[in-house]
Amino acid sequence: MEFDLNEDQKVFRDTTRKLLKKECPAERVRRLMETDTAQDAQLWHLMAEQGWLGLTLPEDFGGLGQGLVELAVIAEEMGRVCLPGGFLSAIFAGALVAEAGNSRQKAAYLEKMASGDLKGTVALLEAEADWNPSAVRLAVERNGEDFVVSGKKLFVPDAQTADVIFCVVRDGESLALLPVAKDAAGVKVTAMPALDATRKLYQVEFENVAIPQAEALGADGNPERALRRAIEVATVTLCAEMVGGMQWVLETAVEYAKTRHQFGKPIGSFQAVQHQCADMLLLTESSRSATLFAAWALTVDDPKAAAAVSIAKAYCSDAFREVCHRGVQVHGGIGFTWEYDLQLYVKRSKASEILFGDATFHREQVAQLVLGER
Amino acid sequence: MKIAVCLKAVPETDTRIRIAADGRSIDPTDVKFIMSPYDEFALEAALLTKEAKGGEVVVFGLGGDEVPTVLRDGLARGAERAVHISSAGIATHDPMIVGTVLAAALKEYGPDITFFGKHGVGGDNQAVPSMVAEHLGVPQATVVTKIEVNDRAVRCEREIEGGLEVVSTTLPCVIAAQKGMNEPRYPKLPAIMQAKKKPFATKTAADLGLSAAQVGDAAATMTITELRLPPARQAGRRIEGDVNEQVNGLLSALQNEAKVL
Repeated sequence: MEFDLNEDQKVFRDTTRKLLKKECPAERVRRLMETDTAQDAQLWHLMAEQGWLGLTLPEDFGGLGQGLVELAVIAEEMGRVCLPGGFLSAIFAGALVAEAGNSRQKAAYLEKMASGDLKGTVALLEAEADWNPSAVRLAVERNGEDFVVSGKKLFVPDAQTADVIFCVVRDGESLALLPVAKDAAGVKVTAMPALDATRKLYQVEFENVAIPQAEALGADGNPERALRRAIEVATVTLCAEMVGGMQWVLETAVEYAKTRHQFGKPIGSFQAVQHQCADMLLLTESSRSATLFAAWALTVDDPKAAAAVSIAKAYCSDAFREVCHRGVQVHGGIGFTWEYDLQLYVKRSKASEILFGDATFHREQVAQLVLGER
Repeated sequence: MKIAVCLKAVPETDTRIRIAADGRSIDPTDVKFIMSPYDEFALEAALLTKEAKGGEVVVFGLGGDEVPTVLRDGLARGAERAVHISSAGIATHDPMIVGTVLAAALKEYGPDITFFGKHGVGGDNQAVPSMVAEHLGVPQATVVTKIEVNDRAVRCEREIEGGLEVVSTTLPCVIAAQKGMNEPRYPKLPAIMQAKKKPFATKTAADLGLSAAQVGDAAATMTITELRLPPARQAGRRIEGDVNEQVNGLLSALQNEAKVL
């Protein structure tokens, strides 16, 4: 069995790494952090041009029809540079349309999403911040041919720059996935405080917003199953980003340990520092293996896919935080200064730890899957 | 217009080079090969010329298993087809022989214009473009930072010490690209996938009508006798004291030890 990346995947990785190294240096990340949206039109155009936004979308709708391993390879490189902006939101929204949309809806959204002309995000969380789709409480009312939404969603990533917000609402026993134009009457987007300034979060309020029922995604299928699948796709993408972040922290810490001298020798010659670096390597490699397996399992619809995704996220959530902590320890005082880039990754690790569910949430998911409760 | 670009596979620039057991070559274990950075400018110039004037771009590469990846990179960026010349039995350490082999392959194709990087990073001989031009009997312009092609007339700007030289010549010719000639494009993912479907030929010296006596080790005009790594960098020295003492200490070190002031 071949466990290595294939030649195409390696070329994707190398090309992405080279491009992002040049186009998204830490100075640019820091500049974007200071903006209201962390979104850069030029970078977005570049991502669209490279085919990243439509990488896994169907070829019939303007995508490249690639698998999630290819997406993971590219997302890892994005995580390595702490890429700001709405890529993850675009993947989540694209996966939701691809899973739940009918042909007309796919034609309406996916091609524009792949070309970067339409930005999407998904509004799922509410006050309980529960990532389980069954926890959605915001209810819609039916008024003639329309759904009418009033209420609010929280922690919606990139809502300010999105053209369309796919709002997950409760329709009796079922869920409804409603595409809402960000600029529609009755929609109000407000920034929320976020630890990771490279990924902005928003509160989205809806006041009597009417959406034709025919526009709801997944109305003729199983919207909850489609939503779970889209969440899994986005979660694997996030895990890959986290692996990229871990790799950066590991490499940076090792380089520092080799060049920083104390007591007349490099600090990397001290066993206590070596242990930290060895543990970081173990955590990073294990995270990568779990993530790539989950990406493969989702791509081939393996029966273990949902468990594989939760195992990957549970592990990455803890591992990224731990790798960053150890990276700070290796660096000492400079590791938590504003000027040193390590702080960007520490904050990214804390925000990513809970995004799409923390380790405890995903261990619970694994338990439910093992016990057949899901 | 028939446009050729010669691409060299070189170790990635941040590779930690190890000397092989023979003491005369590098150990290729774990070395990642990339397109020589100057060749990226050459390829971009070729693609821009094609886009402006029409025609096709063919990429050529001489070497072993490290070359196809670089040629596929060229195809992904927009070349129409690739020719890999296997280095088996060819003394590739000798620029004279490399020039002979590449010229033979180019003669088969008959390009209007042939682009090289000004030199291949790693070997740094800066010899092959000139030798190919000589073999082909065509004019050459080196360290080119700008090129304009109008019908058969070619105008080039060359970067020379302290200035810029403008030269004109005619097609066919050889152009060696200098850094800054353009902004090399990145291959897009769809193009990377399509590159696999583009024509890719592999040739040997014999296919080009060249014998071992012409291009083998026995024909080499130069032999690498030894390869050494540069001496290890000395550790830095910390200058202690208050600001005045540190400034005076630094000045003294620069004047008396480094002798750069």
